[in-house]
Amino acid sequence: MTPLTPFENAWHYRELIRAVVRRELAVRFRGSILGWLWAIFGPLVMLSAYTVIFSNAVGVPASAKQGGVGSYALSIFTGLIVFNLFSELAYRSPGLLHEHAAVIKKSIFPSETLAWTAAIRASVYALISLAVLFVFELALTFWLPPTCLLLPFVVVPFFLFLLGISWFLMALGSFTRDVAYLMISIVPVFMFATPIFYSIEDVPPHLRFYVHFNPIGNYVEMIRDVVLFNRFPDALLYLGTVGGSLLVFFFSYRFFMQYKAVFVDVI
Amino acid sequence: MSSDLVISCDGVGKAFQLYMRRNDQLKQAIFGHWKQFYRQHWVLRDVSFKVHRGEKVGIIGRNGAGKTTLLQIICGITRPTQGNVNVVGRVAPILALGAGFDLELTGRENALIGGAILGMRRAAVEARLDAIAAFAEIGDFFYQPLKMYSTGMAARLAFAVCAHADADILIIDEALSVGDAAFAAKCDAFIKEFATQGTILVVSHDLELLATVCDRVIWIEDGAVRKLGTAEHVIADYRKSVEGRAAAKALLLKRAAASS
Repeated sequence: MTPLTPFENAWHYRELIRAVVRRELAVRFRGSILGWLWAIFGPLVMLSAYTVIFSNAVGVPASAKQGGVGSYALSIFTGLIVFNLFSELAYRSPGLLHEHAAVIKKSIFPSETLAWTAAIRASVYALISLAVLFVFELALTFWLPPTCLLLPFVVVPFFLFLLGISWFLMALGSFTRDVAYLMISIVPVFMFATPIFYSIEDVPPHLRFYVHFNPIGNYVEMIRDVVLFNRFPDALLYLGTVGGSLLVFFFSYRFFMQYKAVFVDVI
Repeated sequence: MSSDLVISCDGVGKAFQLYMRRNDQLKQAIFGHWKQFYRQHWVLRDVSFKVHRGEKVGIIGRNGAGKTTLLQIICGITRPTQGNVNVVGRVAPILALGAGFDLELTGRENALIGGAILGMRRAAVEARLDAIAAFAEIGDFFYQPLKMYSTGMAARLAFAVCAHADADILIIDEALSVGDAAFAAKCDAFIKEFATQGTILVVSHDLELLATVCDRVIWIEDGAVRKLGTAEHVIADYRKSVEGRAAAKALLLKRAAASS
């Protein structure tokens, strides 16, 4: 297996991935009158609620004092987009193979593509939220930082990291349903360990080192840097996080493919 | 001659791991190096046969003999525990009609996904959509969500997709018992036509169909090849065995009734 194998595999099955993504997106809002508007309303309501809550009810953390309530709301929203992307996959992946058991057992379906379709589907909603974020940012500050152009350099490794997580959880989840319940109990805890409602600068200096072991938190910080603060991410943080993500991506793929033929017999 | 070989099974065996408790599966995955948490159950043992290009091979056997597992191994869905399988060419398996179909999507959209699963390019499926719709005989329902379909209609669509997959090898598992008589006749006709150029591996209890379509038949019993030979001979022997068993059973019942 070379580092390119997962990509070659995805390219080989691109037609299938495209067809399944289309299906997932088409089915999502079918039967509802407003349809795709729901994908925009959701994040819009969330962002408005945070702005209202934090401007009236709850105090703003020290790091966000100078920016004001609007920029604090944008900062939370950015964190939530990133985290929701992760949590959707963390909740969904353990059950993916069970969900598609019929087609996996009864046809020549390449189950590794399920991670791609799940990740792409989740990313589509994240992109819609991102568009809402940009609109709000423009309305509040009348400009977008030029560093926004660097976003792909942060988002692509994040996407690969998510794929890795998805493969790993799919593989574990096929053996036991407990993984799904484990996710339901630990993801919310994880949410508070991630700098969403606060910034890494609010963390006491002696703990900051450990916070950096949370790749999702690192991605939150880096995406905030380029989308909101017109800053380059810290080079060491960037290289470390991207390197770790690539390792997760390749080794999870290898792990999944190694056990692929076994899943059929256990699901 | 060997270049004509499309399927070769060499000493294929498949064992399932039977777990007494649900958690043992996870324990096995983690501690499997040190201790075994399951009992092995052999579904197939030492199955060997070869299929050449253009051959029509039937597989018969009682329920639970391992026929479906054998097909799954040949399709590459599951790995054999022992032995080797080599398949040359594109396989279109019809193991379960409509596996992977989505009730919310239209017949057309499902056909596109079904084609993609079989490894077809989107353009190729699109070019055949009319033919698929015509073969399935579902009329305007082709553009309706699958939840509006009757079971027979969904099965016809599924068969139509597989029939237009441009496969080299058709692998069929009893899928033909669905649909009304007219559609069953159509499937038979399709198989006979495909048989003129393609390779077919078919599992069926329909001995008449096997006798007309197949050149050779493999009889599988308790996971092993009981008999392999010309369709005529193997089917005749299989019939005898089944009838013999039925007669023995009837005799036992009669005796039991007489003694009580």
